[in-house]
Amino acid sequence: MKLNIVVCVKQVPVSNNLKIDPATKNLIRSSEPGVMNPFDKNAVEVALKLKQRYDAKVTLLSMGPSNFEITLRQGLAMGADEAILLSSRAFGGADTLATGYVLSEAIKALDDVGIVFFGRQSIDADTGQVGPIVAEFLDWPQATYISDLKPINEQVIQATRLMENMEQTIEVKLPAVFTVRSELNEPRYPTPRNIQLSYQKEIQVWDEKKLNFDKDRIGIKGSPTVVRKVWTPKKEAKVVQSLGQTPESAAQKLLVTLRANNII
Amino acid sequence: MSVELKEHQLMLHQMVVDFAQKEIKPLDMVIDKEKKYPKELWDKVIDTGFLGLIVPTEFGGANFDVVAEAQTIFDIATCNASMAFTLEGHFKTVDQLKKYGKQSLKEKYLPEANKRIFGFGSTEPQGGSNVMGHTANAVKEGDYWILNGNKTMITNGGLAEVYLVLLKTSPKELTCFLVDKDMPGFKYGKQEDFFGMRGTPVGEIFLENVKVTDEYVLGKIGQGVEIGDDAHYDARINMGAIAAGITQHALDIVLEYASQRKAIDKPIIDLFSIQNKITEIAIAKENTQLLYEEAAKLKFQGKPYNKVATMAKSYGSRAAFIACDHALQVLGGYGYSKEYPVEHLLRDARALQIAEGSLEKMVIEIASAIQKERA
Repeated sequence: MKLNIVVCVKQVPVSNNLKIDPATKNLIRSSEPGVMNPFDKNAVEVALKLKQRYDAKVTLLSMGPSNFEITLRQGLAMGADEAILLSSRAFGGADTLATGYVLSEAIKALDDVGIVFFGRQSIDADTGQVGPIVAEFLDWPQATYISDLKPINEQVIQATRLMENMEQTIEVKLPAVFTVRSELNEPRYPTPRNIQLSYQKEIQVWDEKKLNFDKDRIGIKGSPTVVRKVWTPKKEAKVVQSLGQTPESAAQKLLVTLRANNII
Repeated sequence: MSVELKEHQLMLHQMVVDFAQKEIKPLDMVIDKEKKYPKELWDKVIDTGFLGLIVPTEFGGANFDVVAEAQTIFDIATCNASMAFTLEGHFKTVDQLKKYGKQSLKEKYLPEANKRIFGFGSTEPQGGSNVMGHTANAVKEGDYWILNGNKTMITNGGLAEVYLVLLKTSPKELTCFLVDKDMPGFKYGKQEDFFGMRGTPVGEIFLENVKVTDEYVLGKIGQGVEIGDDAHYDARINMGAIAAGITQHALDIVLEYASQRKAIDKPIIDLFSIQNKITEIAIAKENTQLLYEEAAKLKFQGKPYNKVATMAKSYGSRAAFIACDHALQVLGGYGYSKEYPVEHLLRDARALQIAEGSLEKMVIEIASAIQKERA
């Protein structure tokens, strides 16, 4: 029995010129070429590192139209073993809840899954909700915004959560769901050989008939979120913050602040 | 890009651009100044698998075709021409082993080509393209060939660990042999101190009674000239790609500089004299790219490509030099300064009129090919 590490990946548009559907207020996901969400590359990287540690296999999972295959092949080219694309018109229009439901059902259908990784959020929709929702559906522990991760043993992983004003180091019992930050690692380049081989691998495509999905919980029907308005918030005045009484504590706070804002 | 890349080639292209921009470009001037690749960068190039780009997958490589190979060389040359030149020297050698090597030799050495640099030794101190004037030789004694002589001006010489060498096996015939630096009697000679392409080592090797079996002969006895010519023609596609890459690099620098630098409150890019130079640089890059991509496409299709490959190198090498001179002029004192990259692009571009056959030899070959077509 080999531990199966699942990485959920999402394809995002290459350009920054995102268009919003005026009727639904949803992002228009046209046939524009996409790339793997940058934070998901960190998720694939950590999975590949743990693959060696645990002698595991890495399975990529994505939900989206057929052109999402490119992103899955990018993950295979980084070194993942298998890829599954959840793709059907019935899944279309899903919000984070319906997406989380479909992904969690797919994870339940896979054998020996002990760890699920997500990027901390996608750079198009920016919600950061799908990872935690999947953890809830699976009823597994979750650790979000991970900036450091160390396997303690076969059952426990030590993880550091980096948040706006604090760092928190916790131990997480497996199976568990993690969402990772870019501070965690430097994603590897896909090698030319793995790129070539990734196009010889089959990507499994699962539609709504593959698993026993509750039809009321997928696609638009399963999506209670209604987007009323999308706008760019105005930038407010800069925040003045006291960094502490002593140079040491000020330096410590400054370091945490700079890290939290991705400045260092 | 005039050729349409397939999806996996496009993924490779994106990866190479990403790697070259992030890992190689920041070290472009360091490579020129220090006359070597920083170890950390070189390790990354090997670990990322660039050396195995054209090695068949059954031997642990990536098995990309010539179109993707030339695209890769171009993408790297836009960030550092030396690194592209080093890979070019490796690929042309690996290509001949693929084409002419015995199965057992391929099984031994193609997996090695994923991790160790290869080089092609043809030139001798007394002659370059005049291969029949060479003196390095191989003599058969029983089951072994005894190899003696020296080869100079080898691209990657000193860095490369495996070489294909052209040796005389009779007064009027040359034969191609594979030699490994670990063979008894193999020695490295001096390293050249060149004006440009300073990151690419160019050096000499000596063979003193190196003993090899027939397995180490590529192709047939006496087929050395043909193999040498093939290596040159394969190389010329990539020399065109390097020329286009250097020209693109110059164009990138000029566009950025001319948009920011002001003369009487207006960016100098608005001046006709500057636009003239920028246009010439851009046309040079496009023309060179069209030529080497056409040559790559012809080779991929199994059609004759020698003439177009030679044109890519011949035109591209001159056009790149002129383009870099224009770029230097646009940047003025900064262009002439060693603190900025343009002067080394000019030096790098100059190498292309000599390496892999002189410009003069290109003229003879192109004229001869055209005459044959008319006959």
